[in-house]
Amino acid sequence: MKITITVNLIERSFDVQPDDVLLDVLRREGYLEVKGSCHAGDCGACTVLLDGRPVASCLTLAAKANGHAVTTVRGIGTELHPHPLQEAFVKNGAVQCGYCIPGAITSAKALLDENPDPTEEEIRLAMDSNYCRCSGYEQEVEAVLEAAEQLRKGGTK
Amino acid sequence: MGKISEFYYATSPQDAVNKAKQTGAGAAYLGGGVELVLRRNPEVATLIDLSHCNLDFINVTHEGIEIGSQVTLTTISKNAVVKEYAGGSLTYLAGHIAHNNLRDMITVGGVIGRNQPWNDVVPHLIALDARVLLFDGTDHLVPLAEYIEAKHPGMLIKGVILPAENKTARGSLWRFTRTRQDISLLHCSALIAGDHNMITKANIVFAGRPAHAALYPRLSEELVGRPLTKETFERVAELAPDIVEVGSDLRASGEFRHALVRAALINLGEHMTEVAQ
Repeated sequence: MKITITVNLIERSFDVQPDDVLLDVLRREGYLEVKGSCHAGDCGACTVLLDGRPVASCLTLAAKANGHAVTTVRGIGTELHPHPLQEAFVKNGAVQCGYCIPGAITSAKALLDENPDPTEEEIRLAMDSNYCRCSGYEQEVEAVLEAAEQLRKGGTK
Repeated sequence: MGKISEFYYATSPQDAVNKAKQTGAGAAYLGGGVELVLRRNPEVATLIDLSHCNLDFINVTHEGIEIGSQVTLTTISKNAVVKEYAGGSLTYLAGHIAHNNLRDMITVGGVIGRNQPWNDVVPHLIALDARVLLFDGTDHLVPLAEYIEAKHPGMLIKGVILPAENKTARGSLWRFTRTRQDISLLHCSALIAGDHNMITKANIVFAGRPAHAALYPRLSEELVGRPLTKETFERVAELAPDIVEVGSDLRASGEFRHALVRAALINLGEHMTEVAQ
């Protein structure tokens, strides 16, 4: 079946099987920034935004995303034009092996879009789906707090 | 995974029911899809997507709060009307179980349709006296507790209704888990209503026993008509291990779950009397 998804603001058409999950389709189509790990919705590595809300792409049927907008971490910011969240993650030492970071930043982006001044508790709750096996959780929270402050001051969104 | 050969985008509940009837036993309505991907039923070959059927509503009517089957836990957790209902227990539950990604995917219809034993949403909705709105060409409204017992194969779940009469009662839930995101070793949900410090209504539901959610009317009888005090709940907590059926599995022994049943009711008493004070 053919589906159309707007990925990082660009409309794309994909041929998929009815039981293909979004993670597999995105990676097959070259969006390698979306990471697969547990494939059971537990770890958050595969998090993407579906119409602005974080979902586990390993459990999301690609057909359910038909007609919707998907944002990966590259849609949030790139190496040349990083988002304040990405800058803050680097600056605060929140990136260690880096495998979980695309998912973590994506979840944090959804939070800050909705709540520009979150508390630590709100950050922890919004990122409770993102495991970091290097256990850099404290630094991630500090990074999100710093990025939130930066964005409130008018940093580029 | 088993082979799914067709993904059908239904345009209305009637269209979905027609497609299901035409396809037969190999068709399944699609909620959030989480369970479908994790625990595939190999007999299902056609998925009927309901996301274009206008079932993502939360409305207030004279009957109560209507929540469409496609509404996600995140949406429920942020809804102002639900927050005001029965002390906001459903709001808390919907905003804290599983994790952030899954709360954005799990739908009300999906959890009711699959009703896994470890499900935390169904027992709480049963405690709140939720009714489930079913559709097979005509609407049918049945208590959720009855729906869970009887099953209604082939019926499309349009949503649930939280009855208006329970708005001022107090909901409560207590989940014993090893970690915050773990599934419950035991789940206790309750709805308590009082008048002049006397208990006038009590719904007590246990789940994760490890069996499915079940109402315990005997516990309700022991509470109704008695003072809304910690002592009342402590007395029932001593009786409850003999009344609530629990079992053993790899995660916990029946003996441990019996101890948890007692703890759940003591906790409920503390919660309710602090609220009452």
